[in-house]
Amino acid sequence: MKKFLGKLLLIAGIGYVVLFLVFYFDLDGKFLYYVWEPNAVARYDKMKRKDNTLTPYTDKANVMPDSEVKERTVG
Amino acid sequence: MKKFNLRGFLDQFSAVQIGKKVVRDANDGTIHNKRMDMRNDIQERRENRDWNKVWNDFLYGKPHEERRLGDLYLGNTGLYKHREWRGVKDTFYYFHMIWMYNYVHMVMDILKGDEPLTFFKGVWRYRWMGQTYLSVMHWFDRGMEGLRGEALKASAWHYRGMVSETIRQFMRMFSADKKLHMGEENQYWKKTIAHDETVSGNIFYGWRDRFDDVALQMIPYFVSCHVNNKTVLNYIDAMQSIGLPADPCPMCQAESGIFVLDDYPDYSPVMVTSNEACDGSVATSIITDWFLDRPLFAMPQPMRFDDPLNHKHCMEEIEQCWKFIEKETGEPFNWEEFKKHAEAQNELTEFEREKWDVAANTPYYPINGVAQALYRIYYSQDGDRPIWHEVDSHVKKILNKCVENKIETFPKTRHRAIAWSCAPLYYSNWCTWAYNCWGINTIINMDSLMFDKTIRTDTYEHALDDLARYNELAPMRSMAVGGHEHIFQLWDYMEKFNCDMVIMYDQLQCKGMQGIKGMFEDEFRKRNIHAIWVPHALPDKRTVSRKEIRSIINDYMTTVMGEEPLDPTLVDFDDDASW
Repeated sequence: MKKFLGKLLLIAGIGYVVLFLVFYFDLDGKFLYYVWEPNAVARYDKMKRKDNTLTPYTDKANVMPDSEVKERTVG
Repeated sequence: MKKFNLRGFLDQFSAVQIGKKVVRDANDGTIHNKRMDMRNDIQERRENRDWNKVWNDFLYGKPHEERRLGDLYLGNTGLYKHREWRGVKDTFYYFHMIWMYNYVHMVMDILKGDEPLTFFKGVWRYRWMGQTYLSVMHWFDRGMEGLRGEALKASAWHYRGMVSETIRQFMRMFSADKKLHMGEENQYWKKTIAHDETVSGNIFYGWRDRFDDVALQMIPYFVSCHVNNKTVLNYIDAMQSIGLPADPCPMCQAESGIFVLDDYPDYSPVMVTSNEACDGSVATSIITDWFLDRPLFAMPQPMRFDDPLNHKHCMEEIEQCWKFIEKETGEPFNWEEFKKHAEAQNELTEFEREKWDVAANTPYYPINGVAQALYRIYYSQDGDRPIWHEVDSHVKKILNKCVENKIETFPKTRHRAIAWSCAPLYYSNWCTWAYNCWGINTIINMDSLMFDKTIRTDTYEHALDDLARYNELAPMRSMAVGGHEHIFQLWDYMEKFNCDMVIMYDQLQCKGMQGIKGMFEDEFRKRNIHAIWVPHALPDKRTVSRKEIRSIINDYMTTVMGEEPLDPTLVDFDDDASW
């Protein structure tokens, strides 16, 4: 049990030190900047997207009854 | 035969010349002498080192003037060679309670979402998600550079609130998103109301027990600019690629560009838009209507709202919007639910006023300019949510401690500044820089002072009356385009907050504020006020870079104020490629 606890403490201690090094030397930022972002951007740039400009601008549903539109129209 | 390459020849020639120089220097003893000089120099510094000071710097961090924060940057990337050593206590507070705490809580917030696995789908599908939000801890770093003690703690809590609410919103969008569910209109899709980011969440309080309301552009556009300013440029360019000239408000361009690039989540059967803050937003409504192609209610709010008839019109518009939601969802407005959230929102407003009181009358206010501004505009626009109350309870304790123990949170303050008009989204943390470099402490800003309205809940009529006024006082409206009598409230607030300097944001593409620039110039001269104009283009860093913004402030501080920087390494540095 003592041995197990000792090992657990050792692993936790090493983990803590590693995390502190990642934090202090901004390794999370460097990974995201130099590795993640360029790859992510390349993916989004290449992605096939729907051409939304083909959406028809006709037959828009009226959200208000015509009588009310008339009532609220100035002039 | 190999082709002769002039460039290759010159490279080789110069390498040979350098090599020859090294050999020459080695032979005549120059290298040896330089090495000896360096060794002596290091020896001398070691001997003269004040070990007590080294120990104190380690324990408590260096004094402000010796920090040399600019030396920490890695080229123009904005990354750090290493994060700042703030002394043992504050460094480990940052490590445990900001860096680690936020990473862990971000994961927990994602797991709290309705469908946690959609997070990965969202990262895979949406540029604004995958490119922007993973680098969020750098947003903390930039906003909290140089902060110590209670100011570090209180400002970080504000950021924590914004991150948590951002995650809640995008997780709801992803859970409901038809695009991430093979076109299926699932239960979340049917139970979510989409609205413009400039339509306040409080309009939908009457349905919060059955529906969730999520602003469509808040996360893909507005918050993303602060975290990673590169993403938004794609949306601006996309809008211009279908024929929009480059000079309209870039905020409206970016909001519309999200549709052009098909980068919006489809998470709701209805949409409520607004003309707020200006005519540019009217155009955005039209484009939203075109691309979304579903029942949409445009809820225009009057520009010049002081006229009682306009106010009445605004109240009617809100009621019409409620009728629209009832009709489209088949669910009635719940007055009791509305009341519950409106009262909770009033608690947030009450605490905000307490914060202002401390900021205005003491040097013990523990929240820096960027945290104050972003948190205030975020929760006021988003409406009542549990996270805001949680953050306020933490900040209240810190605020009380600062006042009771008279802790001067920004001890190097040389100038108390008020920031007016709309801020550059890609450089909202300029005020952190301005304090570190010049001692300019941004006490309050225009965006924080809007929404200052308690909503009465004794009767339906009173609530509607106040809700309409709240929306008339919305972002960029009253004090930016709502008439010069509101815009010139600056002088009253300057006095109220005991400020001696104005940072005057100059949004180059805002036709509303550009029209009144000359009047401001006249008033500044007449009142003998130190005012620094800060030009910018809201989300678009290409028009005026962050470096240019800094150089304008630097010029004013050296030539007009005749002051020396607190940290000279922050005067001139390049961060063009940073997030």
